[in-house]
Amino acid sequence: MDSPKVGIYVCHCGGNISDVIDVKDVVAKAGLLTGVALAKEYPFMCSDPGQGMIVDDIRSGKIDRVVVAACSPTLHELTFRNALIRAGLNPYLFEHINIREQVSWVHKSDKAGATAKAIRLIAAGVAKVAIQDPLENLTVDAVQGVAVIGGGIAGMQTALALSASGFQVSLIEKTPNLGGKLLSLDTLYPDGEKAADFLSPLCEAVFKDVNIAVHCSCEVEEITGFVGNFKLRISNGSEFAAGAIIMATGYENYQPKSAEMGFGSFPGVITLPMLHEILKKHKNAEGNAGFMVDGRPIHKVAFVHCIGSRQAEGVNEPQADGKVNDYCSRVCCTAALHAIRELTAGFPNIRVFDIYQDIRTYGRGHEEIYEKVADSGTIFFRYEQATPPVVADGTVTVQDVLTWNEKLEIPADLIVLATGMMPQPIQKLVEQLRLPRGSDRFLQEAHPKLRPVEIANNGIFLAGTCQGPMDIKESSAAAFAAASKAAALLGKGKISLDPFVARVNSSLCDGCKACLAECSYPGAITLIESSKGFVAKVTGALCKGCGACAAVCPHRAIEIAGWGLDQFDAMVDALVAEEA
Amino acid sequence: MTNALKNKQKDALVIGAGIAGLQAALDCADQGKNVVVVERSPSIGGAMIGLSKVFPTLDCASCITTPRMASAIHHPNIETLTFTEVLSVEKTETGFRAHVRKKPRHIREQDCIGCKRCEEACPVFVPDEFEHGLGARKAISIPFTNAIPQYPVLDIGNCMACGACAKICPTQCIDFLQKPEEFDIEAGTVIVATGFAVTAMDAKKQYGEGKLPNVISPLQAERLLAPHGPYGRVLRPSDGKIPSSIAYVQCAGSRDKSIGVPYCSRVCCMYAIKQAMLLSGSLPIADITIYYMDIRAFGKGYEQFYQNAKAMGIMFVKAKVGRIREDADHNPILRIERQEDLCRVEEVTHDLVVLSNGMLPGFDVTRFGITTASDGFAALPREKAHPEQTSSDGIFSAGTACGPKDIVDTVVEASAAAMAAANYLRQRGIHGQP
Repeated sequence: MDSPKVGIYVCHCGGNISDVIDVKDVVAKAGLLTGVALAKEYPFMCSDPGQGMIVDDIRSGKIDRVVVAACSPTLHELTFRNALIRAGLNPYLFEHINIREQVSWVHKSDKAGATAKAIRLIAAGVAKVAIQDPLENLTVDAVQGVAVIGGGIAGMQTALALSASGFQVSLIEKTPNLGGKLLSLDTLYPDGEKAADFLSPLCEAVFKDVNIAVHCSCEVEEITGFVGNFKLRISNGSEFAAGAIIMATGYENYQPKSAEMGFGSFPGVITLPMLHEILKKHKNAEGNAGFMVDGRPIHKVAFVHCIGSRQAEGVNEPQADGKVNDYCSRVCCTAALHAIRELTAGFPNIRVFDIYQDIRTYGRGHEEIYEKVADSGTIFFRYEQATPPVVADGTVTVQDVLTWNEKLEIPADLIVLATGMMPQPIQKLVEQLRLPRGSDRFLQEAHPKLRPVEIANNGIFLAGTCQGPMDIKESSAAAFAAASKAAALLGKGKISLDPFVARVNSSLCDGCKACLAECSYPGAITLIESSKGFVAKVTGALCKGCGACAAVCPHRAIEIAGWGLDQFDAMVDALVAEEA
Repeated sequence: MTNALKNKQKDALVIGAGIAGLQAALDCADQGKNVVVVERSPSIGGAMIGLSKVFPTLDCASCITTPRMASAIHHPNIETLTFTEVLSVEKTETGFRAHVRKKPRHIREQDCIGCKRCEEACPVFVPDEFEHGLGARKAISIPFTNAIPQYPVLDIGNCMACGACAKICPTQCIDFLQKPEEFDIEAGTVIVATGFAVTAMDAKKQYGEGKLPNVISPLQAERLLAPHGPYGRVLRPSDGKIPSSIAYVQCAGSRDKSIGVPYCSRVCCMYAIKQAMLLSGSLPIADITIYYMDIRAFGKGYEQFYQNAKAMGIMFVKAKVGRIREDADHNPILRIERQEDLCRVEEVTHDLVVLSNGMLPGFDVTRFGITTASDGFAALPREKAHPEQTSSDGIFSAGTACGPKDIVDTVVEASAAAMAAANYLRQRGIHGQP
């Protein structure tokens, strides 16, 4: 191998870095390191001209390895690898050094120290990349089918979109019917369409679709395999392969605890989902004169918002896992006001009181519902998180901030609790697939803006309320977005994976199985027979590149491609070297 | 990038290269479709690239916009036209025909190397649109540091024709006489991602008619807070003083029939809270007050963000601001009606006031042959089942073109619009080449 020609590029990040680190000094000193052909600085390396500098230097033969010192590699490592590809260089002959989060942001008050640290980190990067060998991505075949778990609105919409896109879809629903939570709704906001009228054409389209296999009353028993080729076994005995998995497992309604807000203690206290069921039946019953609940005529209804949402420690009792639901459930404000609109439209003589913290009618057409409800005589009371309303038989007492913090006793023969959303209990799937969850227990996307329907796990996408509270429109959008990502992933027939997986030097391996015992990923390491006995073998698509095997191997026989043991040695030497 | 497209027959036309348009284009292109993105500004990146940090993660906005910009510009299936406006879209037998006008930059793009020497040589300073008037740019300038493409625009209206730029340009690419160019693009499907405009500072006359120097817009506040903003720190415009008392007036351009914007703009609560947090980071001793009607922190992680802001000491006052005037030192005086506790009318003085303006449609989308709803944004006739489908079959919409929304919701919708567009093409026998 010719001696390496490393190019170093130091980013100012528009002052984020250069206000603290003396980038000119960094460039001057790093330029003297062994193996370095050139060192440059630029205000935004990630910008097009910044990347263009790298491309030009590679194409003109000045450099054959690249170090960029900039932000965190999670932001721009891929950006620069792509620049190397455009320039015709192997994208892995690249090292990304984080001198922003790990240097300028954390050493603001020590500019000289920050500059010295940046130089050392760059020196380590140069030492590592100088002995890097070109790597090739792993390629796996993509099964042209997708498993969608959950047959609510999100699951059905994903299935329809993927089928239209030419994929075979297996739609797995644990209840006997498609439709999910929509089945229990009466009318839908903002337009008041009947839930059944909205749902039936969708269900019909799913059932009629020859590309969609619907498995109702089924749960997932086991999922193995990896991106491009997951293997599923479900409770009706079916087994099939899927290139990608869509999580559309949805939400469940928050269930008030015993005696929370009088729920279970007083017959007149119900939840908003219970009101939906009542309204649905009521409208179907003929010749009713007034609004009746459990045989009682109802004249005054109080709605209480944020039950099971926007909870605070010390005010609300924690949930089973010890945490309160500190999030907003997004849909309950509009859903409650929509219910009031429907109720008062059907029964104009009912008085309604609405007890809230903030009215969050954010969506298109939602504010109009709020306005209509306010104009039609509903009276609003506002409570604060620290002083929630108190429910007794037939009354709600609220400390109303809108009227001098007075304690008002509101008479009500029906009290409706606008309950929030919690994720469906999907512990088994979470464990089997190692799905990431946020502190709100919903599944956690990889990045809210850059990868909103993707998770850290390759080939698994999120659709709808398994990720967080959403309404129908938002669930549909999330479903189509998840379908788009799956279609792009599988559409080429092959999937390219990062090459950072374990590799075995069989000449050093003595088959001691230490790596096998340490590996957390079933199937990633196996023992195969060779001329010299058993040696370890890695299945790249199953290996996550965690390095546990490399740490336990007594012979340096197994290491992670791109993170070799020699590279670590070189980096450590560079970090602790005497200053030149 | 040259004046004309390599190929004027495309699978998908995306109108607008903000975050919605870029994401939609990338999703279409990743599904093997040939895409052209047409952007009327000189750079792609939209409103997002001008923001400081974004809620609720406080990521630097440049850091998450530039990867999308770079991926789009380098994607083999995407071509981008900037400084180009779509004048009309009509339906044809095979899809759609868009008539576009490429505005003159007054440079020959194929020769420009983006060296900025023209910008350095130009003697004319004019208010910088990217800094929302808080800084100055030259009459010939690259719109902002990380603009894509890195071509300057010669603003002929402000040019004094001294010729300094033409003399210094190493490639002789300045062309004072360049004319607009009009041409047609054919596409199988169209995605409308034309974004939003912000309600005017003088929309509500009672708030100083846009004449009070220390009453600023939220986008100006974004620039004050941006790491590479006009002053490099937070100063108030009238006298350069570091403000020690800052107020946000919520719903200054939303939920207000008197200015013709009855709807909620969805993002103002969160951007105000975010800016308040960033301000309290850069001005630790400043008092920050948010006057609001309802705090609508409805998105994932938003409520927690709001509670953190409260815990940081940012004051939230439920009050309606009736009028803003100023004292002799240009300190804004707010006449407010408190809607809690003592519920009285009082006057409070702050050093700096930000009007939390709302969102308006950014473009007249009826030019594309689609209808708008009463709010002026693109109508979505079947929004529950098809939140991306406009009134015209084959034309889809994403982001704030079809109603106010934040970046998270915009990005999801953009991918959804791309899926719908790809399936529409497939139905019509256009499969693309994955």
